[in-house]
Amino acid sequence: MFSKTQPSDLAMFGGSPVFDTIRSISNLVRPDIERFLAYSKIFHDARQYTDHGAVERELERRLAQFHHVKHCVSFAGGFWGLVMSMKCLALPGRTEVVMPSLTYRRLADIVAWAGLVPHFCEVDPQTLSITAEKAASCVNENTALILGVHPIVNCCDVEGLEALSAQTGIPLLFDAVESVYESYRGRKIGSCGRAECFSMQSSKLFNAFEGGYVTTNDDALAARLRDMRHNGLRQDGTHDDIGIDAKQNEIHAAMALAALDDVDDQVERNRRRYYAYQRLIPTVPHMRLVAFDESERCGFKNIVVELLDGWPVKREHVLAILHAEHMLSRPYYFPALHQKRTDYPMVWGDLHATEDLAQRFLMLPCGHFVDEADVESVVATLRFIHAHAAAINERFPS
Amino acid sequence: MNTSFNGLAVLGAEPALPHRLRLGQHNFPSWERYEAAFRDIFERQYYTNHGPLAQALEQRLAERLRVGHAICVTTATIGLALAAQALGVKGKVIVPALSYVQTAQSLAWAGVEPEFCDVCEESGHLTPDSVAPFLRDGVTGMLAVNLWGGAADIRGLQQVAERRGIKLYIDSAQAFACEIGGKAVGGFGRLEVISFHSSHILGAAEGAVVCTDDDDLAAHVRNIRSNYGMGRPVPVGKTGNGRLSEAQAAVALMNLDDLPELLARNHRQFEAYRSHLEGIPGLQLVSPTGVSASNYQNVVCLIDAQRFGLSRDVLISVLAAENVEAVGDLGIGAEWRKAGSSGTVLPNAERWCKSVLQLPIGAQLDEGAVERIAARIRLAQRHAADVARKLGG
Repeated sequence: MFSKTQPSDLAMFGGSPVFDTIRSISNLVRPDIERFLAYSKIFHDARQYTDHGAVERELERRLAQFHHVKHCVSFAGGFWGLVMSMKCLALPGRTEVVMPSLTYRRLADIVAWAGLVPHFCEVDPQTLSITAEKAASCVNENTALILGVHPIVNCCDVEGLEALSAQTGIPLLFDAVESVYESYRGRKIGSCGRAECFSMQSSKLFNAFEGGYVTTNDDALAARLRDMRHNGLRQDGTHDDIGIDAKQNEIHAAMALAALDDVDDQVERNRRRYYAYQRLIPTVPHMRLVAFDESERCGFKNIVVELLDGWPVKREHVLAILHAEHMLSRPYYFPALHQKRTDYPMVWGDLHATEDLAQRFLMLPCGHFVDEADVESVVATLRFIHAHAAAINERFPS
Repeated sequence: MNTSFNGLAVLGAEPALPHRLRLGQHNFPSWERYEAAFRDIFERQYYTNHGPLAQALEQRLAERLRVGHAICVTTATIGLALAAQALGVKGKVIVPALSYVQTAQSLAWAGVEPEFCDVCEESGHLTPDSVAPFLRDGVTGMLAVNLWGGAADIRGLQQVAERRGIKLYIDSAQAFACEIGGKAVGGFGRLEVISFHSSHILGAAEGAVVCTDDDDLAAHVRNIRSNYGMGRPVPVGKTGNGRLSEAQAAVALMNLDDLPELLARNHRQFEAYRSHLEGIPGLQLVSPTGVSASNYQNVVCLIDAQRFGLSRDVLISVLAAENVEAVGDLGIGAEWRKAGSSGTVLPNAERWCKSVLQLPIGAQLDEGAVERIAARIRLAQRHAADVARKLGG
């Protein structure tokens, strides 16, 4: 319950934090333990704990069904699913991957692990995501792959990017980590482009402890990914030149199945949290909630707000204040990837829209540990910051 | 014991075992312990990102292995790939041509070229003599391998590495709980990677640990993996996800509790193989060498096809019919073939690859299984000509 009346009541300045325990942006959804144990019993009875056992095979079947796609290939983590997919799909003899800079902090590293070079494009300020138009301006004779990345709320320009791929002959891969449940023009995410990559780390929609998977309608690609994740070993004893051990184990697969069983209920819980934010954010001046497009299927997992012109406190100070209240809010994809120092090459042109957008958004607490009363406290804190902006600003050394 | 000619399943007899016996250790807690551990995890709601179980595991491993840093990761290949990046090896790195495919594969992820090296004829491992011809220009490191509960001549290799100023690190995927001169494997070279894949003695379904005494190297590996406040942050060229989940840590911790019994069981099974395979012409059981204590997690034989009367691959088919999974150089042989195709002659690796036979040992062998398996191998040798006529080998 929010009960602060003056800036010195903020935990940052000596008051008690609003929450005793952390409320973060990680989903950390808890599947039903009995279901998890029932799936576990299958591999325990079979005494097979990894190497593509019965539970993992069932998970792949169920996920393919869920995404309306022919193949699902599971991985120990979404990171390696992306690396392997890029290795398979990049046009030989070319090195650049056209991708947004305003995105997941490790995505350029993933491209570098695949031995490729990120070529950053701008994003559309409305959707915060890559579009065919922004991508097209970065396509050149060295473009090996287009990486369509879905933003945290809603989807990117799927049809535009597919058309660009068809027109240029450059393969299109999607990073769909944040769009597991979504649809694009009524079509389920999972069958777009040549392949789509997902994560099942515990902060994501599906909590499998750790894990990831790739979906595709391409038989040859699925078969090759299956070899590559298992040290490149093929059934006949030969091996693919590229491989790593990135198999999903049976315990994680059991967890993933339990999470999949629960997903419609989870989305309903997410929707209630989102509606609470939708009801309350308009009470905070100079703040806008990034809305889910409810004409499509939405997972309602993440809450993103924009600090509009006129918002009176620096974003880094807002974050520090929220953290002290045990609200683990995060900036939306900041710094942008091209603004980070790396020891591998990257290519980009004018990205001023990205740089501006990287300053403006916040991700607010959500997921399993956040209830509607917590949402009220988070929004009350934001309102309080706005109301006491002048006094708060005085307390930060300039 | 049925020693009659028709006592082999390939010739129509009942198989030696009623169900298929897989290779590998596959140690795993009982259902009751598993359920209790996972109810605890669901209660805590801490699933990954260096949780309390992963922290406890790292601490217990560091104590047991007597190393400054035990950094858990999700698989050994990923551990080796992160290690190569952290070590900053460049150019070429020496690897034995006799090893699981992951060894050389991990180098590709660091943009390093493997320099395949022959192994010692007797031990199948690296020695200072075996690496000497390969210490050419451009070699910046040596990735030694400890196979099958035995070890390379690590102390000798360490001297070579120091003299040449190159980095020695070790793929000890199969060597948890082995000791060299009384010192635990894990503490040699610049770092070592030990696997927790289900097929090894300390199973976590999947998993591995990177061990080192070097604080800087440890900080580097942790920052590539994600350091979670452990040690200082250092800039890394690129990060690479490789977290060990609480689920994996829970299983590893329970197996660690059981380790004395697991070691005793392996030793018992290994000695049973030794006595029941005794005196079969053309079959030599490989005893772990280079170690003062072995985990006995693998049973490896060398088959001399001339003396045994059947090729190694025919014997694998004979055993498959008995419901026994045996393999030859599956996952191992590719390296010397690749090296061979580029003109390098590696006679010892070739001999090992062509004659090696791996037999099951571990949690899934019932009482008496070793005796039954060995009896069928003995029968196959005695009736080699008849088996060969039947299977064409």
